[in-house]
Amino acid sequence: MTDTSIHLALRESVVEVLEKMFFVEAITDLAPEIAAQSPAVLVALQFDGNPPGVFRMSLARSAAALIAADFLGEDPESLTVPQVEEVAKELANMICGAVLSRIESRVTFRLAAPELVTQDAISGTVCTVETGSGMLTAGIDMETRTCSTTARSAS
Amino acid sequence: MAYRVLITDDSPAMRSFVRRVIQLSGFELSHCFEAGDGEEALDLLRREWVDAILTDINMPGVDGEELLRRLAADEMLRSVPAIVISTDATENRISRLLSLGARGYVTKPFRPETLRAELERILGVPVD
Repeated sequence: MTDTSIHLALRESVVEVLEKMFFVEAITDLAPEIAAQSPAVLVALQFDGNPPGVFRMSLARSAAALIAADFLGEDPESLTVPQVEEVAKELANMICGAVLSRIESRVTFRLAAPELVTQDAISGTVCTVETGSGMLTAGIDMETRTCSTTARSAS
Repeated sequence: MAYRVLITDDSPAMRSFVRRVIQLSGFELSHCFEAGDGEEALDLLRREWVDAILTDINMPGVDGEELLRRLAADEMLRSVPAIVISTDATENRISRLLSLGARGYVTKPFRPETLRAELERILGVPVD
């Protein structure tokens, strides 16, 4: 599979998960350089399979709060930080699973539990979208693949 | 007729979402139980009758695969139909879970109507 097809799978997965599970219509094809520098929730998720790797996601806190509110059917102001972060982890888990299912539909993979990270570089194949309330950047880095060299620091 | 459903997932957010989606889909729900893992689900199933189980796969402790094995081995519980809800849409995983006794498989992300249709299918609810 080429980097282009991995990128396509990543983009389709981000859009599909946001639309079906979070009722968000994402604006795609944004350059990674314009990703928000505002405070973000950072999630990393290791996966085993063929090939193994790591999925990372950065979601602007403003977007994370609204997305969590929609997901849980609650008022954004009533949500706690742990609730918002838990929904962000679910979002990362779903995007990662959707990407891997598209890339390797015949290979079983195993996702580790998503973890909040304080600082991590989103590397490998990267996709940035606008959710309407803040940027989401997702990146998938597979160990045995030749990935694009796009890398930047997410904070 | 309204149904009693058990949602098993280690994420409270996901359990809350699934419950809300079932309600929004128009599925007739009389009671919705929740469990954080397979062990908790089995404990609950020994106390409460449910019409269907919705379960995640990856959970700490007794995971979704082990839950299906234990349900199949339990004379009282093997008739309760289970649907797996998972991000994993790979063919191997789906085949394995169905061979372990899952009656249905819904891949995340899903639309509310997909979950409702799968619940109605395994429960034999007549189509309007």
